[in-house]
Formats: sequence, structure tokens, C-alpha cells
Amino acid sequence: MFQFTDFIYVALAAYALGTVTALASLFVRSKRLQHAGLISMIAGFVAHTIWIGTICTRTGHPPITNLPETASFIAWTVFAVELGLWIRYRVYAAVFFVYPLVLILLTLSAVVGENLRALDPGLRSNIFTTHLLLSTVGVAGLLIGLAFSLLAVLQDRALKNKTRGRLWELIPSLDVCRTVSQRALAIGFTIYTVGLLAGVLWSYRTDAGFMEMRVKQTGAVVAWILFAILLQSYVTNTYRRKRTIFISAGAFVAIAVAIVGIRG
Amino acid sequence: MPLILVGLNHRTAPVDVRERLSISEPRLGETTLELRGLDGVDGAAVLSTCNRVEVIVSTRDEDVIAHIVEWLATRASTVRAELEKHLYIVRHGDVVQHLFRVASGLDSMIVGEPQIGGQVRSSFAVAHELGTLDSLLTQLYENTMRVAKKVRTDTGIGEHAVSVPYAAVELAKKIFGDLRGLHVLLLGAGEMGELTAEHLHAQNVKQVFVANRSYERAVELARQFDGTAVNFDGIEEQLAQSDIVIASTAAPHYLVEPQHVTRALEARRNRNLFLIDLSVPRNINPAVGRVDGAYLYNVDDLQQVADANRDKRLQKAAQAEQIVAREVDGFRKRLVAQDAVPTILELQQRLEAIRSGELEKCLRRMGPITAEQRSAIETFSTQLVNKILHYPILQLKESSDEPQERESLRRTIRKIFGLR
Repeated sequence: MFQFTDFIYVALAAYALGTVTALASLFVRSKRLQHAGLISMIAGFVAHTIWIGTICTRTGHPPITNLPETASFIAWTVFAVELGLWIRYRVYAAVFFVYPLVLILLTLSAVVGENLRALDPGLRSNIFTTHLLLSTVGVAGLLIGLAFSLLAVLQDRALKNKTRGRLWELIPSLDVCRTVSQRALAIGFTIYTVGLLAGVLWSYRTDAGFMEMRVKQTGAVVAWILFAILLQSYVTNTYRRKRTIFISAGAFVAIAVAIVGIRG
Repeated sequence: MPLILVGLNHRTAPVDVRERLSISEPRLGETTLELRGLDGVDGAAVLSTCNRVEVIVSTRDEDVIAHIVEWLATRASTVRAELEKHLYIVRHGDVVQHLFRVASGLDSMIVGEPQIGGQVRSSFAVAHELGTLDSLLTQLYENTMRVAKKVRTDTGIGEHAVSVPYAAVELAKKIFGDLRGLHVLLLGAGEMGELTAEHLHAQNVKQVFVANRSYERAVELARQFDGTAVNFDGIEEQLAQSDIVIASTAAPHYLVEPQHVTRALEARRNRNLFLIDLSVPRNINPAVGRVDGAYLYNVDDLQQVADANRDKRLQKAAQAEQIVAREVDGFRKRLVAQDAVPTILELQQRLEAIRSGELEKCLRRMGPITAEQRSAIETFSTQLVNKILHYPILQLKESSDEPQERESLRRTIRKIFGLR
């Protein structure tokens, strides 16, 4: 019998269809295919929202207390931000990175699939909830920032080499890519920093291993440092293509490690 | 589909003939009314652009062509025989195809150029306002605009620049997005550079600086763009204030070196710099292209962009032709079916009258029968009539779009079935 918790599979199916359709539109240049992909992703987003709402209602806390919930919430936030950016800038090229990312995160969530349960009494704290919520939203912003940073690198390369790849027409101007990337990184970084500080404060108050640098914490701190360097290069206009690629890749890996490490 | 189109364009007539027939926008209404006033014209519209003049009429009288040609010859102050050499006459279904292609930019000198859609729209809008469009031309107008929009949206045929100056504008947009608020530096007074600066100026850039060996010429050029003339020796300082640099001088050496650009970028806090070198020999050292944040394109690079875009447009034109063919077929079928409706209705009424009369006679002769038996006989007679009518109706709906052929078919069917 179909239950509300099964909406994750509906969302997964719609995201998978949307991602495949969007990727296909890269080879078969068709606006209809692009629209079909977007509609499928929006359908997935609706199902995803219902699933997240169900968790909130049943457990009484935001869906960010374990790996599947966090991965799913990041995916949801990333898509929500992407949708907002699409409406504002009509940047279609970002979907080639964002849709697969959303799909991977939700697949991770569905595969790990821990049972819904209320928070342990020891974790019921406003500071802890703030830490989780802000860190997750911050990560989503940073991931969007990375996606647009990657688009900026691709556009820069195409302009420098005077070659037009498949994405040429779909990527907006270099300035738009960098502006969106910088804003997403700045906002995401600020929120992420406050989230990390809330986590430190909570650990300190509860004596839950303040300085214990496990995989999750190490990934989070390394990601914070790399994003700080990346943001600094944008703010001071010392942006360099190769350096950006390396730092972005490192930051992405660190974030991935921090997310997967949530289980640890 | 009683449609006639008479016209000439850049392929059939030289500019001196086109200009004599050309109709300015303020006179379009008056000319359309004149055309509508010709004998045998039911509906009329006039399309006039720099590359074509076409009149479109709906009529049931083919003789109207002679009146139109005569009228056009008078307008062009020439003799009919002379004008006829340059004219093309398109009839019926071909008018639909022609107009769909014209409005989509497929018949333009530069395939896919976007202005033509707007010009067709305003021509028909004038005719619509004056009431010179009958229902057929109104349908044609609405469908033409719909198809033109569909072609542009589905194929993106007009999206890419096909000339060197436009290619430069397109690239500038790929770097900066919105060009408003940008500063342009024009080095030299070469024709291509001037044209490129003109296109950028049309994009509402904030300021155009002009540097030339002859300061007087720089002042003159700057005036053209509401810009500022700057000293040719001070171009290095000017680089730091400019977002786009166009080099188009006759200097036989490099005027801009990598170190100039590096210093300019530092002063600009690494905001991107787009350099367009249109001069031969080149004025900007190619090594500038390797500086981070500097994008250098020479005339060959821009020509390649324009050529690649032209090829792309031709590929998209093939796609567009398929859309047009499908739409023409759909429109033709709708019109023919619409035209056949009165005859079909009459035919159905006539056979229904025969069927019900004969059914009554038959039932009277048979005497008392059950309700089921009566229903079976009624169904049989209805189906028989439907089967008989099937092919004549199909023929009427799918007949040729040539009005005389269609009229002949209609007459034959009416005669066979005894319609008045």
C-alpha cells in the first residue's frame, strides 16, 4: 500500500527522468526536451517536498538529523535555489550539473534509507537544530556557487580557445556566471560559517566532543577553508582559472566527505 | 483558396526597380486602400521592405492579376512589359507557403534575419485597421504570424550574428552580458572598426573613446558616437578605463602589448577586457590573448564566428522549411474543409431526406413490426447513407487548393446527387 514515505521513490523516479531528459537535450537540441526535463524535475520536487513535510510532521524536527535526511534536504534546497536562479536568469546550462547532483543526493538518501525516528533527547536543542539547518542550507548555496563557478570556467575556456562546445549557447555570459557564483558562495559561506559556529557552540555546551575531529568535522573544516580561499579570490578579483578549478574540486570533495561522514 | 500574390524582391529586381515601387510606412495605408479598390479584389494587404514589395489579394477572379500589374506599373512610372520582367506571381496554396517562408526569414537576403517578421506584422496590421482584410486574409495573417513565431522559437534561426561587427557584439555579450554601462575604446578610424563601434554604440554602451593619429579625425568620429576623443599617446592609460578595445589602425606594428594589458587589468581590479583587432597588419600582440582576463579576437577569428553562425543558420533553415511545409499543409486542409462545409451539409440533408422518405414507405409496406426490427432497419438505412456519402465528402474535404478544380468537383458532385 502506498504511504507518504514512498514519495521519496516518486521524487527519485521523476528526478531520474528529468535528469536523463535534460542530458539528452544536450545532444538533441530541442527546447521541448528541455521543458520536459524541467517539468519532470518540478514534479519530483513536489513529491520531494511532500516527503520532507511528512518527515517534519512525523518526527517533529527538520529532516536533517541523519545522512539520508541531510542528503535529501541538501538536494531539495539545491533544486529550490536552482529553480529560483532559472526563473531569474534563465540559465539552462547549470542543469547539467545541478540535476545529476540532486539525483545522486536523493539516491544516496533512498539507498541508505534509515527509518524515521524522533531525535535522541540529548540532541533536542535549538542550537543543534540551528547548526544542522544552517550547515545544510549553507552547503546547498556553496554547491550552487560551485556549479556556476564551473560554468564560468567552461565559458572562459571557450572564449579563450575560440571554440564553442555543446554548452556554448546554453551558458550565460561570463559576468553572469561569476556574479551568480560569487553571490551563491558569499551567501552560502556566511550561512555555513554560522552553522559551523552553532555546531561548535552546541558541542561545547553539551561536551559532545568539541575538538574531536572525526571525518565529518575534518571534511567540514577543510571545505570551509577552501571555500574561504575561493571566495577571497572573487572578492579581491584575483580570480585565476587553474587555481579556481583545483580549489573548487577540493572543496567539492571535502563537502562530499563531510556529508557522507554524517553517518560516522 | 482564391489567393494571389504579386511582387518583386532582391533576387528578381535590381535596387532601382525596388526603390521605385517601395512604399514608405506613412503611405502604406493609402496604398493598401488603393489596392483594395481595384476591380475583383475582395481582400488586400501590401508588404513593403527594403528588399521586397508584395501585394496579396483574395479574389475569385484571376483577371485581377492584370489590374494589379497595371497598377504597379503606374506606381513605378514604367511600362507594364518592363515591370513584368521582375515580377513573380504566386497563386493559391503557394501564397500561403510563400508568406510563411517570408515571415520566418527563409526568403530573406540574410537567412533568418529577424526584422522581416515585424515588417509582415505591421503590413497586415495596417490592412486590418483599414478593414481591407477579408476572413481568408485574416486567417492567413494570423497563421503567418503564428508560424513565424514557431519557426523562430523552435529553431532559433535568428539567434546568431552573421557579420563581423555583429559577431563582435555577440562575443561582447558572451563576456559582459549586458553591454550598458561599458566603456569602448576605438583605436584608429578603419571602416570595420567604425562599424563595430557603431553596433556597440547601438547597444547603449556608456561611453565610446576614440583615439586616432589625427586628433581632428578622432573628434569627428567621437561626435558620431556621442563619445570622447582621446590622445593617441595616452592609450595605455585609456586601456584601464575601457572594457572593450577595438583596434583598427593602419600602423604597421603592435600598439598593444601584453604588459600594457596586464597593467590595465591590475588597475581594473581584473575586470575582463575584450580586445578586437580588426587591423592588418595586427595592432595587438597575439600574446595578449594568453593574459588571464583578456579576450583577444582578430578579424579572422570574428570572420570564423560569423561563418560558423551562417552555417548554423542554414542548418536551422532546413529544419524551418519542414515546419513551414507541415504548417502549409495543415492550413490548406483547414481552409479546403471550411470551404466544403456548405456543400457537405446540403449533401447530407439531401440524402437524409431520401433516406427518411424511403424508410417511411418501406415501413408502411411491411405492416406491424417490433421496435427492435424497426431500429435495425433504421440503423441499416443510416449506415448505408453514411457509406455512400463517405467518399464524396472525403473528396470535397481533400480536394485541390486550386479554386477552379475545386469548383469543378463541387459541380460534379452536386449534379450527381441532384443538388440545386
